This record gives sequence, structure tokens and C-alpha cells, in this order.
Amino acid sequence: MREFYEAIVIGAGHAGCESALALARKGHKTLLLTLSLDAVAFLACNPSIKKKKKGQLVSEVDALGGQMGIIADKTAIQIKMLNRGRGPAVQSLRAQADKNLYHQEMKKVVESCPNLFLKQAEAEEIKLLKSKKIVKTAVGDEYEAKVIVLATGVYLDSRIIIGKYKENVGPNGFKNAKKLSDSLRKLGYKLLRFKTGTPARINARSIKFEELEEQLGEENIQPFSFVTKKSIKNKAKCYLTYTNVKTHEIIKQNLDKAPAISGEITGIGPRYCPSIETKIVRFADKDRHQLFLEPESLSTKEFYIQGFSTSMPTYIQKDMIHSVKGLEDAEIMRDSYAIEYDCIDPQQLKLSLESKLHDGLFFAGQINGTSGYEEAAAQGIIAGINAALKLENKSPLVLSRADGYIGVLIDDIITKGTNEPYRMMTSRAEYRLSLRQDNADLRLTEKGRAVGLVDDSRYKIFKKKKAGLEKASKILNNKLSYDEKLLNFFIKNNETPPKNSISVKEAVKRSNIDIFKINAEFGLFDEFSYDVLSELNLIVKFEGYLKQQSEDIEKAKKTENVEIPPNFDYSKHHGLKIETIQKLTQVKPENLGQASRISGVSPADIAVLSVLLKKFKEKKDER
Amino acid sequence: MEKPIVAISTPLGKGAISIVRLSGKNSIDLALEFFKPIKKQIIEPRKMILGNFYIEDEKEKCLMVYFKEPYSYTGENMVEFHIHGGSVLTKLLQDKLIEKGARLAEPGEFTKIAFENGKISLDEAEGIIDEINSESEAELKNSLATAGGKIKFLVKDIQEKLKNVLAQIEVTMDYPEEDEFEVVREPVEKVLKETKLKLEDILENTRQKKYILKGINVAIIGKTNVGKSSLLNTLAGEDKAIVTDIEGTTRDLVEAKIDIEGVRFNFIDTAGIRESCDEVEKIGIERSREAMKNADITLFVLDGSKTIDEEDEKILRDLKGPYIIVVNKSDKQRKLKKFENEVEVSAKELYNIKKLKRTLLEKTIGDNIDFKYKVIANERQEEILKNALLFTKEAISKKHESLEIWSLLIKNIWKELGKITGETENEDIISLIFSKFCVGK
Repeated sequence: MREFYEAIVIGAGHAGCESALALARKGHKTLLLTLSLDAVAFLACNPSIKKKKKGQLVSEVDALGGQMGIIADKTAIQIKMLNRGRGPAVQSLRAQADKNLYHQEMKKVVESCPNLFLKQAEAEEIKLLKSKKIVKTAVGDEYEAKVIVLATGVYLDSRIIIGKYKENVGPNGFKNAKKLSDSLRKLGYKLLRFKTGTPARINARSIKFEELEEQLGEENIQPFSFVTKKSIKNKAKCYLTYTNVKTHEIIKQNLDKAPAISGEITGIGPRYCPSIETKIVRFADKDRHQLFLEPESLSTKEFYIQGFSTSMPTYIQKDMIHSVKGLEDAEIMRDSYAIEYDCIDPQQLKLSLESKLHDGLFFAGQINGTSGYEEAAAQGIIAGINAALKLENKSPLVLSRADGYIGVLIDDIITKGTNEPYRMMTSRAEYRLSLRQDNADLRLTEKGRAVGLVDDSRYKIFKKKKAGLEKASKILNNKLSYDEKLLNFFIKNNETPPKNSISVKEAVKRSNIDIFKINAEFGLFDEFSYDVLSELNLIVKFEGYLKQQSEDIEKAKKTENVEIPPNFDYSKHHGLKIETIQKLTQVKPENLGQASRISGVSPADIAVLSVLLKKFKEKKDER
Repeated sequence: MEKPIVAISTPLGKGAISIVRLSGKNSIDLALEFFKPIKKQIIEPRKMILGNFYIEDEKEKCLMVYFKEPYSYTGENMVEFHIHGGSVLTKLLQDKLIEKGARLAEPGEFTKIAFENGKISLDEAEGIIDEINSESEAELKNSLATAGGKIKFLVKDIQEKLKNVLAQIEVTMDYPEEDEFEVVREPVEKVLKETKLKLEDILENTRQKKYILKGINVAIIGKTNVGKSSLLNTLAGEDKAIVTDIEGTTRDLVEAKIDIEGVRFNFIDTAGIRESCDEVEKIGIERSREAMKNADITLFVLDGSKTIDEEDEKILRDLKGPYIIVVNKSDKQRKLKKFENEVEVSAKELYNIKKLKRTLLEKTIGDNIDFKYKVIANERQEEILKNALLFTKEAISKKHESLEIWSLLIKNIWKELGKITGETENEDIISLIFSKFCVGK
């Protein structure tokens, strides 16, 4: 049997769903293949999504017209602001998502989307013929399309490890993809083997909550999506507890049984998600580690023990958990496990996430060596958009490091590669101050609109916010008249009163005053929404720094805008060091800016390269 | 506005003329901050103009040419200063231009801009590449040389401490759910203050080196008939050093510039005393005092064949700063009493001249400033260190800002220093976060 589509997306996780939705919403007949319909957009690890840090990515996906933020808002059961008191820009949100509901809601969106066809089948082989691409499934069916997006997550030849138990399955015991790795190898892709893990789940009825620290949610917090109107209601609580000396003693005595330590597991694990045994070994001086108990769903009693990932044998896991305060009688419902899987070396991709090896083949999500739901969705929407643009014969959408965290993420993995599952951190972004969650729409919604993914209702909301910002920023120039009210306002806020009338902007700049306080006192901004005012407040507070950053961005654009032709042969030109030629040939940077970020490429190399490129271009023009 | 670039275009050393070039949109405005034509005139392009450039209280005669874009080597507005040869002046001018807003050119940058502006043909491009490579190669070698290598080591150490601080701040921002990582501001501020001191220290050493390059000023004092002139001639003659009568850049008249083991000594004219033969003694003493004030070291010359008189005693009592008592005319019968640390010489018979030179070196460089063990920055490094110092001061003054801003300011210092050590990747901080802090699920 053979069916015909415009696009095929392999994998219906967080990357695959965004890719398929982007393609279908742009009007392309798309097939979305999944190993199990019960695992669509499955939150295989933490049932939580973060707004800051990686959550910047959620806001950006949302601003481009993606789905993740909307579903996260709809299925959140607790939301909490972290980092209060460390300044407005460092605050961060954590939202607990209802794991079952998240899967259901995303599946509902996907299966109701016009042009999108969701099907359970194992993709086994990719055949690339001259004018067509074919995906062959395990049952022998063939699906043909012009573009393919691979978003296979951690399912490629995956293996679960618990102590001595090793089983070739996917996360949570789902079926894995056995043969696709070989097919990719045959096509010439270099594969890496990575590892990650997830902690045990325990039954709520066996947890002594009264002995634990409660972590309550907060009300009236801005949701993830720019289009969500209602604020999130808190329906569940999280809890805090700690490991102790006894826990550490159990682990130390059994280190020989830990596959990650004894060398049984060869896949490279992430440094930021170490198993508890790795933490004990590496941070031997710490006598306790924080554990965070998170409810998995309102429809189950399962609790997730954040911070307690291990691949120890089950009988040791049990002892470890029972040594923790409040968990003495915990009933373990799912064991903690480590998982190994295949992914590709992301340096084989272009900044559009299209393969450098094959036209029309795109890769997104954990198959590219990243980690995390948010990272996956971010790549998913970009791969989906670019696969669609490919079908439309249009040039791809490439986000720069100044455009957003998505740009940072993709540039990082493609330019530098990764030797561990890559996770987004705000420290990776050099323009962090400009890349705020609240302005993701201001940065990206026009781009999303231009590629046709931002619908009218989202665009209207965006336009309204933008207009609001413009109007409100004019009020900043208003003068606050010099009178008793003004003086009292300053004194009340512990600020030296001005000697004359003062502009609203100057007042906002004072460290103990902000736009909300001014509005409460003088009522100048009553007509504007919270998000407009908080954005404006930040713009004023950070004015000098933001200006500096935008100057840096402009400077970087100069090299960023110098394109390197894909067929440029570095070895045929005089002047570059052999070592540099090798690096450039391997990465094949798409522009001079990207070339400058390859490790070991010096500023002098870039100077030489810029001359060579100019020469190359002039010669070409002569012809 | 883009900063104009500046570089010394002639080889550093004892050439008769040195050229300092500026290129960039506002290079002429910058140049005219220092340069004043002798005659009032309009600055016409491509015309040599005689004038003076002024640096603080010093002035120096030089020629300036202005090339208006696009008719210049680079195709941008350009200015060339043609000044008296010698590394000190040239370097001083360049430093001043950088201080006032120019940027030190990258290796081969003038040629690169020329190429980009179509001033150089395609065939010449190969040459540019070689130039960029050879210059950066030379720089690399230079930085690996003892002093350069040492500075890298030192800066690396400063950077390491900053990196620790950054990791500490960053981890709280990327892992807000971990309650254990609180940033305590005081230790961070302490590191910043230490950074400031260390940077100032290297910059001060570098400044001292410049001062050595400029030369050590030596005053020769003593009465007229003690043989000062012949001593000077002997000192100069033996080394075949340049003895000139040119007006120096300082307020003092320089009698001779003498090179002793690579260090330049400027012997300051003590004509005041020489001419004082007809005047009262008092004036002579005044003049020698004046000469000593402007000198880094004083040679007090006495005639060994005569006994000490009241004027000599007065000068002896007045001696300030490092000095050497030189007892001349050892070829004659000694009548003068012995002094501690005296150097007995004979200018006439060249006796002990070498010893006198060695003593001069020891008393100046050897005793006071031990360059052998101090870290000195080259000009590119110096510019970076100055920037880093500015960033450090800013970070210290904004210690109450939110963590995100503070981190940004501290990162500015770290990144700037990375231009010396090569460590500028955010990944370096992230790696430290993972190795230092226990984070994760």
C-alpha cells in the first residue's frame, strides 16, 4: 500500500506535534506518524513546564503561532513565581502540568487539525529517491512525500536500564524504533548515543504530607501564551523534602550496582540532570540534596520525585526512597530508570534544521541531541515552518541569536555540536536582557505572521499590545507637577524628592519606584494592561543596558549578514590554516558570524575569510 | 559612530621618522584635537601641514597629512602624522589617540578596509592575507614571549575568579528552584575590588615601563671646574651614543641621550651651574636644586684633588632622591675625604666609567623598579586592561543593581579580559556551574 502526502513527520512528541501543526496550518497535507497514539505529546519526565529559563522558549514558540503555551496554560494545575526579590528580570515561573490532560489536549488539537493525519505506525526506513521521499513502516506500508521531518525523540534504538535489567524499549515501556537508526546510518548520518533518566513515581496516599514543606501556587500570574485570557487556577500542591546522610550511605554502599557508575551505561548523560548516585559521587561534601514532590495529574495519585533519578536496582531504590523524611512508607508505582538512545550529530544540519546531506529532510527535537520538552517544541515549530517553506519554494526562516532563545539554541547545536544532551540556559544567551519572555511576541509575532502561522486573532492581540506600548510610552514624557503630592510620593517610597517637576520616565528610573506605583498614585496608565505596563517598566529601567545591547547586536549583524555560499571550498583558497579549513569544512557555516563562533577559529581567520569571500564573490560577478 | 582605527605604520625603533595613521569617518576631527598648524590655515586634503601636536603639557613639531575619502589608502577619511623617530613619542601619540576614542587596528586592518572599499585589486588580495597572517603570527609570538606569557597567566587568574563569581550568580538565575544557591553580595564585591587592584597594578607597571622607554633623567651637578662636561663626553663617547643638542619633549634641556644596556638615560643640562661661575654661589645651589627636582637620579661630581668647601657641603645636605657621588680626577693626587658609596673615576683616563654606568643602572632600575619580575602589557593588552578596569569600576559602583544587571556588568569584565586569554565562551561559565553546583532533576 502506498499513500501520498506533501509532508511526513515522524514522531508525535513535543517537536513532532509542533512541526506537523505548522505544516498543516500552512495548508500542507501532512502525515504524523507515532509509535503509539497513547504517547502523543507525552510528558515522559517532569510534569512541569518552566516559563523562565527554558520557558522563554515556550513564549517564543507561542509568539510564532505554536501550540505548546496554549496547552500548558489549559492543563496547568499549579503555578508559582520563583526568584522573587532578585529583581524583575530574574523572576521565573514554574507551572505543573496535568500530564494526562496535556497529552489528551494536544492529541485533540492534532487530530482535529485540517490537513493533518495522525497515524500509529513504526517508521522503519527512509528511502530517498531522485524526486520523492518514501517512509516505509514496520508493517510494510509506504508513504510518499516531498519533505520529511524526523522528530523521533528518545525512541531510536532506545534501551531502559534498571540495575542489571536492560530492555530495548522506549520511555515508560513504550515500544521503541528499532530499525530507523540503521536506515539513517545507511543514508550517511553520524549517530551519537546519549543517556538520560527519570525518577520513580510514588502513590500520594503513602506520602506523609504533614511532615513535608508545602509549596503552594500563586494566583494572578501571567499565563504562558499571549492568547490565553484567563489566569491559571491552582488546583494542586507540591512538596519539598531532602535526602539525608542515611540515603547517601545506602547509595555509597551500593555504587558497584549503579550502571552509570560501574560503566554498564556507555551513553553520555547530561551534566545538568545527574542521577542521584552521580550527585553523591561528585558532590561528596553535601550531606543533603533537595527533592521536590510534584503531582503528575489530577486524575492519578502518582507523584514525581524531582531530584531522585537513578538506575539502581529496584530493591536499593526502595531503600533509598524509604530513607527520606516523609517517604518512609512510600509505595513505588513506577521505578526510576536510565534510558539510552541514538541521536544524530546536529552539526550535520543547517540553521533551518534541514539536513546538509539531503534536501527536504528536516530534524527536530531530541534526535538532534537536545533535551527537554521546550527545546523540542522550539525546534519542532522551526523545522515545520521550514519544511513548509521548502514546499512553497521560499527561503527558510532562520532566527538569529538576537531574535530569541530559539536562535541561540539552534545556532549552538549546529555551530558547536554537543557532546551531551543540550539544555537551554539563560546564560547561553549573550543578549539575555533583550530576550525577555514578555517581549517574545514583540520579537517574533511579525515573523510568525510573515510565514503565515500567526492567525488573525493572535495578530490582533499583538497589534493591540504594540499600540498600547506606543501610546503608553508617550505618557513617559509627561511632567509630574511639583507639589506636595509629588513630594509625599517620593518620600513614601524612600526616594529623595526632586527639586522641580519631573518627567514620568525619570521617576520610573528611580530604584524604589516603578510604573505601577506611579499609576496607583497618579492614575496615568489606567487604560493599559498589565503586560504593556510591565514591559514598559522594564524598558525604562534597563534603558542604558538595552541600548548597549542593541548596539552590540547591530555590530554583530555586520558579520552575520555576510553569507558564505554552500559550495565554497575552503581548501581551494590561499591563506587559511589547515586546521581552520578542517573546522570550516566540517561545520559549513552559513555566514561569517556563525563561522566566528566555531571554537578554535580566530579573529585573524575571520579577517582572512572575509577577504576570500569578497574575492570569491567578485570573481563570480565577473563571469 | 564607528571608532576610527589607529596604528603606528613604521617599524618601531630608531628610524628618523615615524608615521602614525588614523582611518575612519571622524579621524580628522580626532586628529585636530591634538594637532595645531603653525600657521593658521585650512586643512586641505593631501597637503603636508607643519604644526605641533600637544599631549598634556608637551608639544612636538610634526607634519600632518589629511586624505579625504574616498581618495585615501583605505578609502575612508585618513590622517597621517609624520613625527620624529623613536618609539616613545610615537607610542605616546598612539596611546593618546586611543584614549580619545580611536581603536587600535587589527593586524592588516588598514589593508583589509582598503580591499573592502575596492582600493586594492583582486590580485593584491593574496598579499593582504599574508599580511594579516604574518602580523597576527608576530603578535602571537610576541604574546608568547616572557612578559606576554606572564600577563596571560595573570589575567587568566583574574578571569578565573570572576568566572567563579559569575557561575555563582548564574546558577541562581537558571536554577531558581534550588533554594541553596543564594548570592551573597559582599564576597562578589570583594572579588571585584581585588580585580580592580590587580588591573591597576599591571597598568601601573606598564606605565613605568613607558617611563623607562622615555628615558631616565639624570642631573649632573657640581661646581664648574670639577669636570662635568668631560665626564659627560666620556660617558657618551665610550658607547658612541647619540649626543644631541635638540630640544627635548620635557621642560628640561637634554644634554645627551646615552644608552646603557638598552636603557636610555637623559642627561639633563646643568648649564645653570656651569654658567654660574660669575655669579654668586647661592644661585648655583638654587640651580642644582632645580636640576635635582626634575631628575630621577643625580650625579654629584666632586674634584678629588681638592678638599671640600662650604658650597659642596650645602649641596651634599640638599641631595634628594637617588644620587651617586662621583669623585672625578682619580688621575691626580686625592685630597678629598672618602664618602660612603662614592664612585671614583677619571673622565680623562676613562677609569671606572663602566662602574659608574653599572651603578647608575643599579640605582635606578636595579633598586627601584625591578622589571625582571614584573608583568608588563603590550599595547593591545594595555587597551584591553584599561577597558576592563573601566568595566570593573562600573560593576563596583552598581553593586546594588538587580542580579541580572550585575551579572551582565561582571561578564563585561570577564569577556574583555578574554581577549587576552582567549576564554570568552559562555560555555566556560556553564561548565563551571555544572562542576561546582549540584543541579538537576
